[in-house]
Amino acid sequence: MVTRLLIDILVIALPFLYAGLVAAYGIAFFGKGGAVKRLTRPYIALLLVLHIVYLGMRTIAFDHPPITSVFEIMTLLAAAMTMAYLYIEFRTNIRNTGFFILILSLVFQTVSSLFIKDLTVIPEYLHSKVLGFHVSAALLGYTGISLAAVYGLLYLMLYHEIKSSRFGVIYSRLPDLETLESMSHRAEVFGFVTLSVAMMIGLFWLPRVFREFSYFDPKLVGTFAVWVLYAIGLTAKRTLGWQGRKTMILSLVGFAFVFLSMTVTNIYLSSFHTFH
Amino acid sequence: MNLFSVGISHHTASVDVRERMWLSADEARTVLPALKEQFFSECMLVSTCNRTELYGVLRDPVVNEARITGLLLDAKHAEDIVRPDHFIAHRAGAAVHQLFKVAAGIDSMVIGDIQILNQVKEAFQAAGEQHTMGPVMNRLMQATLHVGKRVRTETSLCEGAVSVSYAAVELASKIFADLSRKSALLIGAGETGELTMKHLVGKGIGHVSVANRTRARAEALVADLGGSVVDYEHIVDALRTADIVVTSVNSPTYVVGPDDVHSVMRQRGNNPLFIIDIGVPRNVNPAARKIENLFLYDIDSLNAIVDRNLEKRKRELPHVTTILREELVEFFRWYRSLEVAPAIQDLRDTFEQIRAGEVEKNINRFRAEDRDLVELVTRRIVNKLLHHPLTALKEGSENGNGTSESLTRVKVLRELFGIGTGTKRDE
Repeated sequence: MVTRLLIDILVIALPFLYAGLVAAYGIAFFGKGGAVKRLTRPYIALLLVLHIVYLGMRTIAFDHPPITSVFEIMTLLAAAMTMAYLYIEFRTNIRNTGFFILILSLVFQTVSSLFIKDLTVIPEYLHSKVLGFHVSAALLGYTGISLAAVYGLLYLMLYHEIKSSRFGVIYSRLPDLETLESMSHRAEVFGFVTLSVAMMIGLFWLPRVFREFSYFDPKLVGTFAVWVLYAIGLTAKRTLGWQGRKTMILSLVGFAFVFLSMTVTNIYLSSFHTFH
Repeated sequence: MNLFSVGISHHTASVDVRERMWLSADEARTVLPALKEQFFSECMLVSTCNRTELYGVLRDPVVNEARITGLLLDAKHAEDIVRPDHFIAHRAGAAVHQLFKVAAGIDSMVIGDIQILNQVKEAFQAAGEQHTMGPVMNRLMQATLHVGKRVRTETSLCEGAVSVSYAAVELASKIFADLSRKSALLIGAGETGELTMKHLVGKGIGHVSVANRTRARAEALVADLGGSVVDYEHIVDALRTADIVVTSVNSPTYVVGPDDVHSVMRQRGNNPLFIIDIGVPRNVNPAARKIENLFLYDIDSLNAIVDRNLEKRKRELPHVTTILREELVEFFRWYRSLEVAPAIQDLRDTFEQIRAGEVEKNINRFRAEDRDLVELVTRRIVNKLLHHPLTALKEGSENGNGTSESLTRVKVLRELFGIGTGTKRDE
């Protein structure tokens, strides 16, 4: 009873808390925000703890980890993005990119909180441990790809300011181009590797669980296309020496393609590989 | 109030006057004790390329300031060039305000100068080593350094490069993460180019190479900067390995064209290349600016950065002024607490408060007809207790408030009797 009550409170509170966090990082980035800047770390750490508590309570209350519906995945993605950002902030001590990354966490959490359902009865195969590995790997993959896209976007914004000699807040607050490129590239490699793992697990596991499994399923084809796109980008970087603006545009195109493929396959096309 | 400052600066004197008045560390060490002996109970001396200013607490508040400047002129043998109107003197709050302005960097030739705070700090330390500091100057040092710190953390006064060479280095560090892993090439040997390279070396650039039409000049520069010499005829080849290029060649035509850059960018695997073209006329064809991962800046674009940064710094002035005002109020709140008259009043008030409290608490133990007598007797006791310390305090300040001795007495008295710093009264 108490668990349910806490879940109900947190499902409403989390989007507001994320909005507050984004606002704090925004003030720290765009304004002077000396005092606010000092508060961002304890705030994000506390929020992450609350989010993990929320995910844990959902797992206990509904007897399954929150990986069975698209909106459960979204809250998990928001937590993963926040955790990844916090890790990067601690590792690099670069605090000025939080605003741009945590906006994604805010969006994911808000959509999740609006539409998430309390599912207590789910198909048996969703209790599988293999599914847990498959979803976790996919989640890490999409987190990496999203981070790569945000850092790519920041790179392009800064590149444009430097090239056009229009030095605004982006110029004065963001880290240098090389650092942004390296952060984007690392996130992309991480995303690509974990997405590859998710796909491999899926390819072995899915045919055993679903009778209607098909290699030409729209979702599988879409995901494979995304994977090929990233594989080409990473190979080109390594072999053809692509770097800078071109690779950053590619990371944004990749992210847009991921978003499009997820939306189209989940909403408009029928697939055995859908959430419940 | 005996706080006093006098000095020359870029506001009042040209560089030839300022350089004659500049005191080396050794000279300052000689002059400070002499100044203290003759005029000050405490003093310190700030001497930089843009100012030589003396700050201190006067022994005699009506001293003729020409005598003080005379001592400085004697020390520097500069009577032939330095006139009395080169000096500006400030007293009391104006003297403290002047020091705060200097430390904040708003009195500098380039507004927001970041080096001046260290120079002021060193001046205080040098005065400390010569034992010319005292309670007031120590407190003033704390307040001054606090002003400097606040201005640097709470405002953007010191942000953004305000010279062409620094603007170039700042841009380089917005493109590259680690300059120690990058190499820079200087083409030509103009003054700004050389200065830019020196800044890059100061920022830890990994490797430096120099190309010049006169090889001997390139070799001389390399001897100064470190690095290697590149044949002037092979400068386009050298662009393949350099990450930062500074060109300042005196040439009527472009030295590097877009085709050169295109081919170089291919050969260098499209690695970012930052070219600072400070030649007039320009050395690199501006058409090359469109090439991806090439960042090309000429003298005008760098000057535009400098102008914009200066404007930004000027916009911070109201904020800096507020900080200075707050710190002035805070300093003088402390300073006034050390004046004799308010201290005597505070001591009397404290004793009277204790006496009145005790009388009120115990008055019912006395008969009604004795109560006036109790008031009288207790007042007398308090007056007698206070008589000696207050007389000593007054005598100690016969030469006026603000001397080190009287300030120390007041400070000790306030600490011993726990009578605060007069904050309440000031408010």
